[in-house]
Amino acid sequence: MTDSKPLTGGGLLFNVLEQHGVHHIFGYPGGAIMPIYDALYDSNVKHFLCRHEQGAAFSAVGYARASGKIGVCMATSGPGATNLITGLADALADSIPLIAITGQVPTAAMGSDAFQETDIFGLSLACTKHSFQVHHVDELEDVLHQAFEIALEGRQGPVLVDIPKDVQMATVVQNFKSAAPLKNKVKLPLADITKALDLLTHAKQPILYVGGGVGMANAIDEVRTFAKTTGIPSVSTLKGLGALDNTNANYIGMLGMHGTKAANLAVHDCDLLIAVGARFDDRVTGKLDQFAPDAKVIHFDIDTAEINKRRKTDAPILGDLKANLPLLTMPLNIEVWQTKVQEMKANCAWRYDHPGESIFAPAVLKEVSDLMPKNTCVTTDVGQHQMWAAQHMTFDDPCNFLTSGSMGTMGFGLPAAIGAQISRPHDTVIAVSGDGSIMMNVQELATIKRYQIPVKIVLIDNAKLGMVRQWQDLFFDGRLSETDLADNPDFCMLARAFDIKAKQITKKNEVTAAINEMLDHNGPYLLQVKIDACENVWPLVPPNSANNEMMESA
Amino acid sequence: MNTLPFNKYTLIIMTDDKQVVLERILQVTRYRGFLIDGITASVNNANNIATIELLVSSDRPITLLIDQINKLVDIKSVKVDNKTSQLSNKKECSA
Repeated sequence: MTDSKPLTGGGLLFNVLEQHGVHHIFGYPGGAIMPIYDALYDSNVKHFLCRHEQGAAFSAVGYARASGKIGVCMATSGPGATNLITGLADALADSIPLIAITGQVPTAAMGSDAFQETDIFGLSLACTKHSFQVHHVDELEDVLHQAFEIALEGRQGPVLVDIPKDVQMATVVQNFKSAAPLKNKVKLPLADITKALDLLTHAKQPILYVGGGVGMANAIDEVRTFAKTTGIPSVSTLKGLGALDNTNANYIGMLGMHGTKAANLAVHDCDLLIAVGARFDDRVTGKLDQFAPDAKVIHFDIDTAEINKRRKTDAPILGDLKANLPLLTMPLNIEVWQTKVQEMKANCAWRYDHPGESIFAPAVLKEVSDLMPKNTCVTTDVGQHQMWAAQHMTFDDPCNFLTSGSMGTMGFGLPAAIGAQISRPHDTVIAVSGDGSIMMNVQELATIKRYQIPVKIVLIDNAKLGMVRQWQDLFFDGRLSETDLADNPDFCMLARAFDIKAKQITKKNEVTAAINEMLDHNGPYLLQVKIDACENVWPLVPPNSANNEMMESA
Repeated sequence: MNTLPFNKYTLIIMTDDKQVVLERILQVTRYRGFLIDGITASVNNANNIATIELLVSSDRPITLLIDQINKLVDIKSVKVDNKTSQLSNKKECSA
């Protein structure tokens, strides 16, 4: 802000963002947010113009997840605001700290069905951790500080701040006070580890079940130390991938619907399940009453409401994982169980010796994973390619694998990769997508072009909505309803229209050279990998089945 | 077909008198699987704290709802009024 202009609500917004260390935001202008975009003109905050508000929201999510910082997006009133909603719902479901700023029609026009007026404040109730509507500019500074505090405290999540146009334009004096601490925080009891300690020392077949909360609690070192010191065999959820040390002999991979057979069998057989920042999601448990049926449960979480929500807990430990997990870290005598689990792991190893000339997607993703530089950040969209990426790629940190876990939002991967690349300009970022998913936010190729964002896109193309097609084949008598995408556009030509280098491969013997060419290219690149439309993701726990009833073929 | 008994509970909720707090409570209550059978609310203007008495029914344990309402930013406390709650399944009475 120059000294000659009085500070407005819009200018105050950017001052507070800078106060909180926000340097990058994602958004799209429009009528009811014009005073904020006018203030942006004088601000040091760098704004990235996305080509759809949903793209802006997912770029902010990707930014937050890749960097561990807060993501900020903004949009105008009405359709701009409603277009943010899917991103907010995704952030709420995956506990991602996000601030969404929406412009609103002037306060005098609110409630009159004004042009581009929608009740985004009301709409936000089900898809945010909290939301505010600012009725007077004097409230704005405090509200913004509160928004940051709420988004980042406890179980993180998205917060929406709706600012009417007249509030954005009103002059204001900044008082530079930070927000008062939240006074109504849920009070967590001091961790009582007595029961947990008893369960742990008496367990013969314990399993460590690690979720996305570990990365969010910044407790990766503590979890790895716990796994190593106790020697407890460990499994991960989709969102927990990267938290555990992949080289630990007792780590047996992802559990759940598309988890490894070893992970699901070991969990089924365990007598103690130590859930760490995980919430017994239905994609993890399969048929709930047959999930780890003989196990006692120790549940570490920051969110009181997750305790006993889906599975009764024998020993809940609420609070900061980083402080609490070391209390249970001790050597155990479980060699017989370790040997059994390691045998399961060896018997269930992945195979990549796929017959024929056509490209086998799991092998491609394994090779991308082997060849990509250290600290590469991978994003995915949703569907078969997502599960293959989770199964066959290896990550050393959850911030290097960004996937829409709970909401399962197609269209997540490309804008999330843009946000990730902006937050980590020196790391390689790869968006693994599918031919169905990429079309959901394909307009963001224009954002890549505009800012020359060097994201690599690995497009697994089976000309199908592959996961739905797989389920139709397996569970709906092969009645393939609306899942054929044989009329997809020419993806390479599409990429080139946005000045993005592109290549299509169709045969196995082209894979290695193509991956290397993509990784060596300095700018953005799209690698279209044509695969057999009939390939399925295996193994699979069928709906309403126990995890030990996995299908390994049709 | 749901054959589990519906239990009736009375929740006493103390909350800061903030924007849309009542809507938030009602939204969470509906989403988490509880029917709203009645509601009374009043605000103490001296301290801006509202007291909401919410009559709900569900086949789900009331603790699930209490934990979710408690997470709302403006909520100060949530308690079950045991005197008025009618429990058809005594095993779920512990809340």
